[in-house]
Amino acid sequence: MIQKKICMVGVFATGKTCLVQRFVHSIFSPRYLSTVGVKIDRKEVMVGGEAVTLLLWDLEGRDGTRDVNPNYVRGAHGLIYVIDGTRRETLYQAFDIRNAVSTYVGQIPSAFALNKCDLEDEWKLTRSDEEILPKHGLHGVRTSAKTGVGVAETFQWLAESTHASVEV
Amino acid sequence: MRVIEAPPVTVEAYGLTDRGKVRPDNEDHFLVAHIHKSVDLLCGSLSADALQHQLGTSAAQLFVVADGVGGGPDGDIASERTAAAVLTYAGKTAGCFQGLDVEKEHNLLKALEKTVEEVHQQLIEGSAFQGKAPATTLTLVLLVWPRAYVVHVGDSRAYVRRRGRVQALTRDQTLGEYMISAGAWSEEQAAKARTGEALTSAVGGTDLMPSVGLIDLEPGDSLLLCTDGLTNQVPLERIEQVLGLPIDAKGMVEQLVKDALAAGGADNVSVIVARGVA
Repeated sequence: MIQKKICMVGVFATGKTCLVQRFVHSIFSPRYLSTVGVKIDRKEVMVGGEAVTLLLWDLEGRDGTRDVNPNYVRGAHGLIYVIDGTRRETLYQAFDIRNAVSTYVGQIPSAFALNKCDLEDEWKLTRSDEEILPKHGLHGVRTSAKTGVGVAETFQWLAESTHASVEV
Repeated sequence: MRVIEAPPVTVEAYGLTDRGKVRPDNEDHFLVAHIHKSVDLLCGSLSADALQHQLGTSAAQLFVVADGVGGGPDGDIASERTAAAVLTYAGKTAGCFQGLDVEKEHNLLKALEKTVEEVHQQLIEGSAFQGKAPATTLTLVLLVWPRAYVVHVGDSRAYVRRRGRVQALTRDQTLGEYMISAGAWSEEQAAKARTGEALTSAVGGTDLMPSVGLIDLEPGDSLLLCTDGLTNQVPLERIEQVLGLPIDAKGMVEQLVKDALAAGGADNVSVIVARGVA
């Protein structure tokens, strides 16, 4: 059986848990409860006719006093950096986190989920913010845990990328 | 250059259960276990270097609380069987906990879940001709220092106290919690609703949806596992206060149970406290 460890990382309250809940259980909760430690879920997806089990590690959000625990991301095959599109600073904080995380896991397939895209009136990311991602070779997708937009696609892209990175 | 090694951490743990003041029986069960695999070499000619690896002791601690569902048949049997099954599994796999890679770590969690699912099936099949199966909540922590693996079903809880702050590691699997999460009920509505405390997931119940997580502990952290006989009786502020007292785990557990009884003791109560002491 093929298993891929995928870590959800980002600062607090960007919607990491909600994205996992939407993807795995097809539910959305508007209530914010901060994650302590790591919550683990599984979901099987198909990649090229093969079943791949994604082991989704939903990490506690980074805040002023807490960095990403290197032991949580070690051994990850892929990463999803979650950005709150209504808080522009979370994009640049995600770059900081990426710099730190890369030292622990190296360059592995990573997606940037520009989350909460259903909140159009509160959206703070500019066009140039979003254009930065492909310029750095990063895969950015607008997502909404509330409506489901971009969620399955992001996880599927990561499943395919992590699968392909082994085959290369 | 002098290398300063971190001092070894000792895990101090204690647990207690009490029938309470209202219920006729205690349907809770708990356990605190130290799991180890060791070799007692009586005599031999191997060098100390050769023995070092062979005699390595893999240690883990297992903490379990289970609250047999009241109002159903044999809740105490369900909680006892579930706790015993987890202990049996942990005992069989003793020695396999250290140095887990990603795959082995997930296999361990999967096996723990499978153990719970097997007891769930046994409880259901055992009651096939008697109607409703006996059911129980379950909160277990397998601690392979510093990593604490958590498997949770129902509304017994696990908390961690770190730097003076107590935070929940588990979310209640109840109708009230589900409705609040879905935005359908307010916290007040859930507290008032008769069905708010109904379990949406239980071992032996209609549905079983174990939730799994982990946390890396730090020296000085405390873990609390408890049944709702504590959390329904004692406010979180008081629990925080007790976990912050300069006393040992035994003293904390005894104080928390005493508080639950003083608050009415409306339900069976089980409490485990484990602390990493440097």
